[in-house]
Amino acid sequence: MKKCKRKFRANSSGQLLIVAALTIAIIISSTTIYVYELCRETNSTESYPISDIILALKQSTKNAMISSLANISKGGEKTVLEANLDNLSQTFRNLHQLGMYSLSFTALNDSQYDSGTCLSWNTNGSGVSSAYANFTLKFQRMTANIAVDYAVNITTTVAINGSYTRLEGEEKLVNLTCRVFNEDKPALAKNITLFYENLGNWVPVNSSNSLSTVDYGNGTYLLSFIVSTSSNVQVSAHVYDLRYVFVQANTTCYEA
Amino acid sequence: MKNENRGQIRIIEAFLAVLIIFSSFAISANLTVTQTVTNHDNLASTGLLALVKLDSDGSLGKYIEDRDWAALRDALNLILPAGIAFNLTVYDGQMQQVNTDVISNCGFSSEDIAFVEYVCASQGSNFHCYMIHLYLAVAA
Repeated sequence: MKKCKRKFRANSSGQLLIVAALTIAIIISSTTIYVYELCRETNSTESYPISDIILALKQSTKNAMISSLANISKGGEKTVLEANLDNLSQTFRNLHQLGMYSLSFTALNDSQYDSGTCLSWNTNGSGVSSAYANFTLKFQRMTANIAVDYAVNITTTVAINGSYTRLEGEEKLVNLTCRVFNEDKPALAKNITLFYENLGNWVPVNSSNSLSTVDYGNGTYLLSFIVSTSSNVQVSAHVYDLRYVFVQANTTCYEA
Repeated sequence: MKNENRGQIRIIEAFLAVLIIFSSFAISANLTVTQTVTNHDNLASTGLLALVKLDSDGSLGKYIEDRDWAALRDALNLILPAGIAFNLTVYDGQMQQVNTDVISNCGFSSEDIAFVEYVCASQGSNFHCYMIHLYLAVAA
């Protein structure tokens, strides 16, 4: 009987170790899987690079500036810019996906800009509608605190120049070149309306003036029309760009 | 001698088996982590950049202002790579849902869903801010 027991012990000691080893293996494996799942969850919250987030937030500030300039250039209050940026800043605080965001800004005030906007519509053939503000975007997350300083400048410029040739009597054929720029790069216009001065009044140019427009597709427009005035032709161009920013430029056309 | 060694050999066998099982788990787990994270990162990044691109000329804000959800869905379908399922929800400043229609191209069948949060500021002269929640998954 004793011999039998000893034999059983000798035979089953290895099996017990095997069971123990397998149990350890299962514990290690399940720990590995658990750690892997935890890693995956952590990685999924940091799902894209900070540069992409900053790019997206900069785009939003740029849009807010465009919207404000569109409003102000159409006669809105200059305080609209700061009000809109405050609104945007508040919305940024509601973003929680990858951290905490806070946006602070300073609208530019200098000899040209007042509360971040500049509307310079001259009689020398050029007109500028512009908005400028400096931003600081603070970005707080578990792993890092980042502050990014940047400036946004939204500028729509129109440059016009032209001349006229005499037709019969006081009739004059005016040829006007109009160029539109967004941030100093050629841009398309949404709408161009022309006026000419006659006896102290600004008269709209329309089909009755045989108005023709050639769009070169690169932000340059050639406009021709016929007017009846006794003096040189004073022309005013009212332009909306594709962002609905309004800009005006006046010039005097002389005989070619 | 043979009987005495039998148990020790079993122990060595067991340890070898444990070693093989453990190493295979370790290797396969690492491979899966790399692949999953790469796919997930790409998906979220692709979604965010798609929204930025759509917003760069003011189109995104205009679709929302015009409540043109079909056009927004079509634009996203065009701009996102083929084989990506999306579901987009637009909220206003008070986090009230704005879109009345579902802006999605198909149902989600994948477990790996990426989430993108985006602030869309409209370019129109009347300023509005919208919060966009975009869910993305690889279509089955």
